[in-house]
Amino acid sequence: MRMRKNMLLILTLIIIVSLSLAGCGYSTKSNASAGNSYPNQKVHKAQTSITNGEVSEIKKYYQSPMLENKDLPSVEKRLPKVPKLTNEMPEDELDYHIGRYGGTMNTVTSVVDWDADVFVMNNEPLINTPGIIGEKFTGNVLEGYEESPDHKTFTFHLRDGLKWSDGYPVTMKDFEFAINDVIFNNELTASFPAWLRSGNDPQGKPMTFKVVDPLTFKIAFDKPYPGFLIQLSVKGWRGYNDLLKPYHYLKKYHKKYADQEQLKAEMKKAGVTDWVQLFNKKDIINTELTHRDAQGFPVLNPWMVSKSTDTYTEYTRNPYYFKVDAAGNQLPYIDKIHSTYVQDMEMVNLDMVSGKADFARESAALSKMAMYKKGSKNSNFKVILAKMHLVPTTFYLNLTYKDPVWRKVAGNEKFRKALSLAIPRQEIIDTVYYGLADPSTLIKSDYDPKEANKLLDEMGMKKGKDGMRRAPDGSKFSFTFQIQPASPDFVPMTEIIVQEWRNLGIDVTMKQIDGALWSQRNAANSLQCSMMWIDVNRWYEGSWGQDKFGVLWNKWDTTDGKEGEKPPKDVQHLYDLVNKLYQVPPEEARTEVYQQIKDEVNKHNWFFSPIENVQQPVIVNKKLGNVTGKGYAIALNFSGEQLYYKK
Amino acid sequence: MLNYIGHRLLQLIPLLIAISIIIFVIIQLPPGNYLTTYIQQLELSGTAVNQSEVLNLQHQYGLDQPVYVQYFIWMKNILFHWDFGNSFQWQEPVTKVIGDRIGLTMLIAIFSLIFTWVIAIPIGIYSAVRQYSIFDYIFTFIGYIGLAVPNFLIALVIVFYVFDHTGLAISGLFAPEYVGQPWSWGKIVSMLERIWVPVVIVGTAGTAGLIRTTRAMLLDELGKQYVITARAKGVAEKKLLFKYPIRLAINPLVSTIGWTLPALISGSAIVEIVLNLPTTGPVLLNALMNQDMYLAGSFLLILSVLTVIGTLISDILLAWIDPRIRFGGMEE
Repeated sequence: MRMRKNMLLILTLIIIVSLSLAGCGYSTKSNASAGNSYPNQKVHKAQTSITNGEVSEIKKYYQSPMLENKDLPSVEKRLPKVPKLTNEMPEDELDYHIGRYGGTMNTVTSVVDWDADVFVMNNEPLINTPGIIGEKFTGNVLEGYEESPDHKTFTFHLRDGLKWSDGYPVTMKDFEFAINDVIFNNELTASFPAWLRSGNDPQGKPMTFKVVDPLTFKIAFDKPYPGFLIQLSVKGWRGYNDLLKPYHYLKKYHKKYADQEQLKAEMKKAGVTDWVQLFNKKDIINTELTHRDAQGFPVLNPWMVSKSTDTYTEYTRNPYYFKVDAAGNQLPYIDKIHSTYVQDMEMVNLDMVSGKADFARESAALSKMAMYKKGSKNSNFKVILAKMHLVPTTFYLNLTYKDPVWRKVAGNEKFRKALSLAIPRQEIIDTVYYGLADPSTLIKSDYDPKEANKLLDEMGMKKGKDGMRRAPDGSKFSFTFQIQPASPDFVPMTEIIVQEWRNLGIDVTMKQIDGALWSQRNAANSLQCSMMWIDVNRWYEGSWGQDKFGVLWNKWDTTDGKEGEKPPKDVQHLYDLVNKLYQVPPEEARTEVYQQIKDEVNKHNWFFSPIENVQQPVIVNKKLGNVTGKGYAIALNFSGEQLYYKK
Repeated sequence: MLNYIGHRLLQLIPLLIAISIIIFVIIQLPPGNYLTTYIQQLELSGTAVNQSEVLNLQHQYGLDQPVYVQYFIWMKNILFHWDFGNSFQWQEPVTKVIGDRIGLTMLIAIFSLIFTWVIAIPIGIYSAVRQYSIFDYIFTFIGYIGLAVPNFLIALVIVFYVFDHTGLAISGLFAPEYVGQPWSWGKIVSMLERIWVPVVIVGTAGTAGLIRTTRAMLLDELGKQYVITARAKGVAEKKLLFKYPIRLAINPLVSTIGWTLPALISGSAIVEIVLNLPTTGPVLLNALMNQDMYLAGSFLLILSVLTVIGTLISDILLAWIDPRIRFGGMEE
């Protein structure tokens, strides 16, 4: 009996001790964002009094306290003679406040060496278009440009005194190097990019490049290419570094300039077998700026990678950054970015709702709104709703899928119209998007299953004994809707639509597959019906689902007829219109051509884009300044250098 | 004995070659490669990647070579240079990616193992000695729940519970101020405060299983004649129990060393993902999902080698403990 008591006692003790240890481990409260601003920082009077104006009116420049006593040249000497006065957000979208220096911005990502929010925030194009709207074009890294009246020649001006993040001046040699020795070097550039050819045409003649004087260069095309400016500003998040690379840093890795012995030694050190591999490894391109290798690579961006560990990446301000606010403060206001890497998307959500992220756009989803609202009640963040730059969900029938019956049915505009009539837009908006979207005006948004049934009957698609419709020739007709769960709204929305289509008697089923597999299958023309977002809101992206609703047609177009199938006339017309976007001046492209494309899409129903004007939540720290819900959420993200922590 | 060990070691060589080939082939089986995933990721965030960049990346990563060439280069570097290749995702040598995380992984694994033993063995013994008592039923009930509920679910529930009540996200092994800092007394304390959660969670399933094993083994022994004889001769109950049946009942611990060794390195991926721990489990899972083949391949290879060695060790231990196994092996 005694033994039993002893053992029971020991057991109970062990359990109590271990449970209490487990429980109390987290009772110590920690606040990740506590050190976000410098409470005792001196703010110069001049720094706060002016909120707008011209660069020429700035009398004195100021710098972050972090850079004082750092053995750097004075801020006037680090800035170019004419710094860029920041204008990322148009005036009607943001009421700009002069910010305060200091603090660390926390972000969260679930991908190794990649943080989309930081990437967008850090990105610097050569030319910019405020609010990423594509209406106005101003200088950015470059001071300015002139376009010849025939839209063939572009003259660009470099900012005098612009410097790389290591203090080396940016010179014409840097442009010459990037263009002549990298883009025009066929070892390094195996296929010359289409956007640098006349009219963005894969068959067009490559550009010509000429240095005029130490601060001026010209790029010319043999045909008018007014869309070249939009190509340089924001399309596809292109940064400056396609046309501008740090020659002083990269020359020792380039065959033309390097000492052969040294090159060999460097190759050995890097563990590669040829110089092309070595150069590509050392040349950090725009999409690699968040990688750990980017440390020490000279850049022009506001922040640069300063530390990269297994669990986070730290970015520190670039002391030579070329932008200022109207009061003469060198940007960015925020000194550091701390991007935490977590193992999983759900961990990102958890960190977001527990206030560990000061800024989160890419991972924030409308469907998680309730969770954010609940989390923000007792926390240090708020949720703002801004315009989304994409239409988040669009369905495609692949009209070139290799099945003759399918092609006949899907190729019939009546069939596509019938499917479109069966999509309950309002129900989708209410259930999936909490009412924060509108029915699409791109295609007709009526909901009329009766009419849809009538159209299908007219096509001769009779119902079989199982209640499912057969193809007009009497054969069985069924298909799979293959989606990748790239965003949380994909699955619920597809479920609603599949159900509605089944009600019409269409034998369709949904299948979820992995993202990489989805891309593979899409490229291999083996998807019948799929879903992806579409970038139709911004006229200049020219993305109208060409590579999804007609995979083989698109291939024919991009390979100059070598592969794929010749597209029908109406589709070819769409391609021509999309190319025209870059071949006419932006003001015409943005209005006339853009409308023509929309009309064509409306007429032919190539894809189903049931909703538009979707709102996107952005999670921001309550103390963050220069935040706005007007304009695109991603434009706010893009203007990261003007965010600051309020007192 | 030496003969036996030598014989077993020789058998390992073809086994390991076969394993390495199978691993490499399986990683290559899904369509696409690391670049497909990488480019897909960039495109999803709206970033254009042009054809020339894709070709460059392929060349840079050596993915433009046939699979068998990639395999031979990989093997050659491992055998002659002890170089397991570079991880595509982390842009670092595989040995560094794994090495950086192995310490914490082993720490959690060893703590969980001790936790399991300390809790499970006494309970198992108690349950066997007091079979069908009320506490036996309670422990059995709890044990079954522990066995039936997946670890990651327990982890999720705990994370949710803590967040809902305190607004704190329990993730990681250190308080934010210690992340990335060099080791210090504060950091160790901060770790000890947090390490209990994964240890208890990872330990639960093992505990439940071990309770059942210990109980069953001991019940077997307790019914045997030597126990009755000893009891008849008047040996004190406590002395009797600890001197003979328990020593036998603990034997399964020895024979499972073969599985324990790789488990020390691999961790328990899903629990570690849920708790966001900087350990090796999630790295392996991610590497497999992204087809980061040198990282995934080398990791699996190391795990296989450890399993094989672990099995060898437990075989040797068993042969050493149990003469029947030893002599059986010699006669053949």
